[in-house]
Amino acid sequence: MFDQLPETFRSFKLNADVRTLLRLRQAMDKGLVSTLGDMFYVLKGLITTSPTDIGPFSKAFYAHFLDIDILPGEPLDKAILRSNAFKEWKDKLSSDEKEDIEDLELVDQFLDEVHLTSYDIKKFLDGKDILDKDDPSLKDKDAPGDNPASDRHHVLDRMADYRDIPLEELMRRMREVAKQQKTRHEGGDHWIGSGGVSPYGNGGAAAGGIRVGGAGGGKMARAAINNRDFYPADAKAPLGDDNVDAALAALKGIEEGSSEIILDVPLTIKEGLKQGGIFLPYEKEKRQQRIQVILMIDNGGWSMSPYIRVVQKLFAKMKTRFAHDLKTYYFHNTIYGGLYTDAARSQFAPLDKINLQDKNYTVFVIGDADMAPYELHRSSIRDWQKLSKHFKRMAWLNPMSEGEWYASMTCSVIKQIFPMFELTPEGIESAVLEMNKLKGNGW
Amino acid sequence: MWTGSEEYLCDMELAQAFHMARVIGMPLLIEGEPGTGKTELPLQFAKSLGLELHVYPVGSKSSVEQFVAKFDHVKYLRDSQVEILNAQREEKGLESKLSTGGRNTESLQDYVLRGPATKAFSSPNSVLLIDEIDKAPREFPNDLLYALSHRRLVMPESGETIEVSEEDMPAIVITSNREQELPTAFKGRCVYHYISFPPKETMHQIVAKHYPSMDEELQNKCINLFYQMRSLGLERAPATRELLSWIKYLASFEKAEALTKVTRADGMGVLIKNHQDLQKVKLKILGKNPYQN
Repeated sequence: MFDQLPETFRSFKLNADVRTLLRLRQAMDKGLVSTLGDMFYVLKGLITTSPTDIGPFSKAFYAHFLDIDILPGEPLDKAILRSNAFKEWKDKLSSDEKEDIEDLELVDQFLDEVHLTSYDIKKFLDGKDILDKDDPSLKDKDAPGDNPASDRHHVLDRMADYRDIPLEELMRRMREVAKQQKTRHEGGDHWIGSGGVSPYGNGGAAAGGIRVGGAGGGKMARAAINNRDFYPADAKAPLGDDNVDAALAALKGIEEGSSEIILDVPLTIKEGLKQGGIFLPYEKEKRQQRIQVILMIDNGGWSMSPYIRVVQKLFAKMKTRFAHDLKTYYFHNTIYGGLYTDAARSQFAPLDKINLQDKNYTVFVIGDADMAPYELHRSSIRDWQKLSKHFKRMAWLNPMSEGEWYASMTCSVIKQIFPMFELTPEGIESAVLEMNKLKGNGW
Repeated sequence: MWTGSEEYLCDMELAQAFHMARVIGMPLLIEGEPGTGKTELPLQFAKSLGLELHVYPVGSKSSVEQFVAKFDHVKYLRDSQVEILNAQREEKGLESKLSTGGRNTESLQDYVLRGPATKAFSSPNSVLLIDEIDKAPREFPNDLLYALSHRRLVMPESGETIEVSEEDMPAIVITSNREQELPTAFKGRCVYHYISFPPKETMHQIVAKHYPSMDEELQNKCINLFYQMRSLGLERAPATRELLSWIKYLASFEKAEALTKVTRADGMGVLIKNHQDLQKVKLKILGKNPYQN
């Protein structure tokens, strides 16, 4: 069942491959995986790489190990209630155990058992004991003449610890058991599949015998499944409150554009010593991490108003976090000889003055570039060209989707002056990559 | 498995991830909001088990050279000049000599400045903390990984190698505040753990660890107010560290006085460190118009 593991997890857009399996195996060899709950943690540590992986990871885990498919937006409890794994688990409970208990409470119990880790188990039963008694050559339950002893250690098997048994031995037994298994079965401590205690089967962890005080597996799992913070933001959706952080991450990709030549002291000394004390200077390039950004925002007109706030939020975050040198200018539809330094557009900044600034600034223009054709007249076009000539790294971010750009004449014109991208996290990322390519051409 | 100490409440999930990282010999990468105890883990672990601790605080100018080892070229130049000078003096029959401080230009390892990685690798079973790796220049994480992927470090110029056996491998903890996305390849080679913000019940336990004799009513009030603030969606929400500082301030007063301070939210500057956030808190929690008084 592990062969399929990377594939399942990859289908949830997670990074999993053969190396994941190798590391998992390493962890198993070291005795880190005794229950399904352990498996959850070990895989989580190996596969997730950001909080937004945790949601998809939990889903993938349920799908792979328990065959529980959680539909988008479906609460975990519901998905569990309609799953086979839960039904089988419930059938296995004695009538005492499920009497007068609401299904939802049983879900709690089910989750606690699924997520029970070997650390939660305060008092271990000797797992070796079970394995010694268990005869792997037992015939399948459905076969005639089934050994009634198969349920003999039913109570015991609910709390097994296999950590003293070598992995190879367990693997060998699993293979033997797998060969025997003819139909889908339920329960029993020597079967692969949902129910039993085998740490490698579906729903392997069972803790019924001793209730461990509030392992809280259910709580944790529900939090992961139903919390939007644990899912990746939609990078294709227009910039909004939900994906502003994804956009911010894309902006971090802006590379430092400056480099200067400085004296390479170590090399000078090394070479000088070789020359018997004659020191010839050697130089090297020094790179500086410096992010300078200019924003030009079209804040006039109703078409832009839904985006102004979130754009400002995005770049305000950028300014406090990493781009301390950030300047903002405003305009309405297009520019005539300059821009404004305030949102009310009362403080005019002539183009010639703006163009005196360091050409290494990264410039983002944010606007829909859609206006009446007469507004974008020849001198306005020339103004844009002046800017694009001075600032080498300049991109236009458009809140309209790409399909709509061609419907607007003015947009098509502006698109010829600047590389244009959608105002989505993905669009911003492409803009940043594009501008980084321009590095080295301009200076 | 290590699960925390007297002063430090280690989240079970974190303890498990840390244990796993140590057992399979991979670095543990901890991410999470600032002030959730990322750095505390290795510090407290080393303290409670009496292990040697090596810390490398990452900054915007960090390089793997500083982290592993650096060759001191300037000192080397000075000492080689001193040797020439001393030889000249001897020729002239002068007795006095300039000292090289016990260093010998013949043995290059005298000029190797050992960084925290080398120090950790040469002391068995130590703890190595690489703090705030997200502050580093872009290429640093991958360079770092290369240095850590073998249990062997090669010293610059001298060629001396520092090796550590699998058993003696230091426990490596890397923390990040997620200010910058780390390369996928880098993350893939670490055991990853994201510290979620602790729920109220855990917070009570954390506070109790630090202030065991704190009044229950006061504690409840503080923590309730704290979580109320966090739910406002502030630009910089207060974290555990801030709460503890605030409680420290309150603890210096009598109970009655402290309680009024909580209701008036005195000492707010410890919790809220942003002007806009402060106004939001004043308006929504204290019901004050921030533009008055």
